[in-house]
Amino acid sequence: MTIDANETAMTGGVRFLGARKAYWRLLARGAVLLMVTLGIYRFWLTTDVRRFLWSNTEIAGESLDYNGTPIELLLGFLVAVAILIPVYAGFFLAALDLGTLGEMSGLIGFALVAFIGQYAVYRARRYRLTRTVYRGLRFHLEGSALVYALRALPWWVLTAVTLGLAYPFQLASLERYKMHHTFYGDLGGRFAGAGWRLFLRGLPLWLLIVAPIAVTVGAFLEVVDWQALADAMNASDDEVMKRLEQGNPELAAVAVFGVLMAVASIALTLLLYPAFQAIVLRWWTSGLRFGPIEMLSHLRMRHVYGAYIRFALLALALAVVLAIASLPAFFVVGLIAGGNENSAAAEIAAALVLLGGYVIGALGLSTLYRATVGLALWRLSMESLQLSGLSVLDRVEARGQPSSALGEGLVDALHVGGY
Amino acid sequence: MTDGVQAVISGPGVFFDGRTSARHDVRVTLNATGLQVEDAAGRVLADWLYDELDELSAPAHVLRLGHRHNGDLARLEIFDEPFAHAIDLRAEYVDRTGAIHRRQRGSIIGWTVLATLALVAVSYWGVPAIAERLGPVVPIAIERRMGEATNMQVRAQLDTKNAGAAFECGNGAGEKIGLAALNKMVKRLEGSAALRLPLRATVIRRDEANALALPGGQIYVFHGLIAKADNPDEVAGVIAHEIGHVAHRDGTKAVLQGAGLSFLFGMLLGDFVGGGAVVLAAKTVLQSSYSREAESAADRYAAELMKKAQGNARALATMLGKIGGATEPGMKILLDHPETKTRIAAINRIAADAPTVPFLSAAEWAALKRICAG
Ligand SMILES: [Zn+2]
Repeated sequence: MTIDANETAMTGGVRFLGARKAYWRLLARGAVLLMVTLGIYRFWLTTDVRRFLWSNTEIAGESLDYNGTPIELLLGFLVAVAILIPVYAGFFLAALDLGTLGEMSGLIGFALVAFIGQYAVYRARRYRLTRTVYRGLRFHLEGSALVYALRALPWWVLTAVTLGLAYPFQLASLERYKMHHTFYGDLGGRFAGAGWRLFLRGLPLWLLIVAPIAVTVGAFLEVVDWQALADAMNASDDEVMKRLEQGNPELAAVAVFGVLMAVASIALTLLLYPAFQAIVLRWWTSGLRFGPIEMLSHLRMRHVYGAYIRFALLALALAVVLAIASLPAFFVVGLIAGGNENSAAAEIAAALVLLGGYVIGALGLSTLYRATVGLALWRLSMESLQLSGLSVLDRVEARGQPSSALGEGLVDALHVGGY
Repeated sequence: MTDGVQAVISGPGVFFDGRTSARHDVRVTLNATGLQVEDAAGRVLADWLYDELDELSAPAHVLRLGHRHNGDLARLEIFDEPFAHAIDLRAEYVDRTGAIHRRQRGSIIGWTVLATLALVAVSYWGVPAIAERLGPVVPIAIERRMGEATNMQVRAQLDTKNAGAAFECGNGAGEKIGLAALNKMVKRLEGSAALRLPLRATVIRRDEANALALPGGQIYVFHGLIAKADNPDEVAGVIAHEIGHVAHRDGTKAVLQGAGLSFLFGMLLGDFVGGGAVVLAAKTVLQSSYSREAESAADRYAAELMKKAQGNARALATMLGKIGGATEPGMKILLDHPETKTRIAAINRIAADAPTVPFLSAAEWAALKRICAG
């Protein structure tokens, strides 16, 4: 029935037991209820999804157990809203100021939301960890969310300035902070992943995406006649374009080339995103440590691509179904417009049809994504794990208290992502 | 409930005591009121009453039990299906068929749908009511600043900068007399209106037959409106309508309504479909429904003001008929013809057949027509 305790004393794997069909059912019901309740059902859906994923993940013969409740999430969200109202009202008033305060309010607001967002990400992780029970003990996260947010912001700025090159080092540094304060019972965690390893693995992807842009910039520098450009800029408004063309005859060709390269860059980003996700997941899970417990991931990139291909095919099918289903709806709109001289009713009806199609399409896509890519990423990253040093599981002692769901609420209210 | 099932009174299980992660292979015995958990050495590890048992999330083949009202995380796992069924029969809150779960879900769905209806009601009635109360309380200084902030947005939207001419009319050499005529007209209306803040009326270079009032007393008259008018009173009537918006502080109320709706839809309801299009659509529809009442109030105000200023109150009704009721930009799709007819009738009811004094002389009217001529 279960794997013998002796067999898993030293090493062990992770099994995922969840039936795909049950997960589909859960998500489909959730999507309908989200639509009916304008999204209020999300607290229940999130909890259902976590209960399903956690309880079907079996580590060394024992499955996880998620004991958070939807009501906790709802309360956390309401408290978060209560905290954010004065902040928003303050910025609403500050934006009315015509002096420097008004001009700066956008920037300050962005920085503040980014800061609260990082604070929230840390606290949300704390909530999730303290609701995760394994072998009768909970996980917990010590450390300070404020300190974490203060560390995270400069890293994000650096990542932005270096066009993403600093991202591996950011991830490693922030994950070290998180894992250093993560505990399973009294068993302390740490993070052993090195930023430069992820950097080296990610660099080819980065170069592939940046190359078309770099080539365009190079071509632009080669072609432009700077003197003519300066002259053109000094000319009056409507003559700028004309003079630009006269001074730089090859500019139009470079512009077309630039657009093509931008398209190539975006296409490459989309195509390479699953590879990037697989690399990060494998690197991240391989770096997790709890006391003597070590993890090693054998995640295969082609499996991640397989999940994305399934998603793409299903999304295509959804698009076809929606297109066919919308034909009778537009026929009805046409009848309304034809039978009545004023077109306002038809315009409103058409807008409603479009809006309904948009909601169903967007909700359908997000459901398909969760059911294919979301589930596959969880299952693959879990099943590809090899754990060692598990004999310590005979003697870990309980520690840590459940935390509030405020962080989850803030993440929800601010629409920030992260784990 | 068969005898065979009832006869099962003990079975194997796995127990975690919640204090350490050690796994205990145990023997579970079912008594009359509860179950007893004993390890291999015969020590009793737990004694749980049936109605204190809680069913926890677990894989399909496992029955995982916890202890209610107890802070610790002790867990008892049963893998043997007939034995799990025997516990299920005895414990009130353990139900492997999922009936309890379904009942709970039913009531959750009921409550969330109710909450949704409440939110819709708040956004339909509550938000305009709150804006109605708050609007008059907003200090004039803040209203002016709001006006200046919206002014920047409105200008950025309306100023197309195509012809190279100034966005505002009336500053060119040949436009000065037109501006004087406009100011004369506005002064006369303002004198009768007795507002608490000074008006600023400006004609802008736009071809639509519209006008616009911002918080803080700024009124924009689109040149297309003057082009479409047949006499000065028709222009004065629309300006009086806009003065009505200023007097009722509709611009401030609209800003408050917009903020309230953004908050309700954007934050409370969450980003559940991953896009702002729905939020935007809902805001547009709701705000246009709020504006109906504001429009007829502004019409009534305009008719009374025109009467007081000895102008022709019916001129606004004539103008409304010509422009299909869309006094402000973007109104056309939302307010259709029957609405316009009701508004025209309401204005004509207020209008009296008293003698009127023309707003402008023929020469001044001709000058106003050329205010954007350059
Ligand atoms: Zn109006």
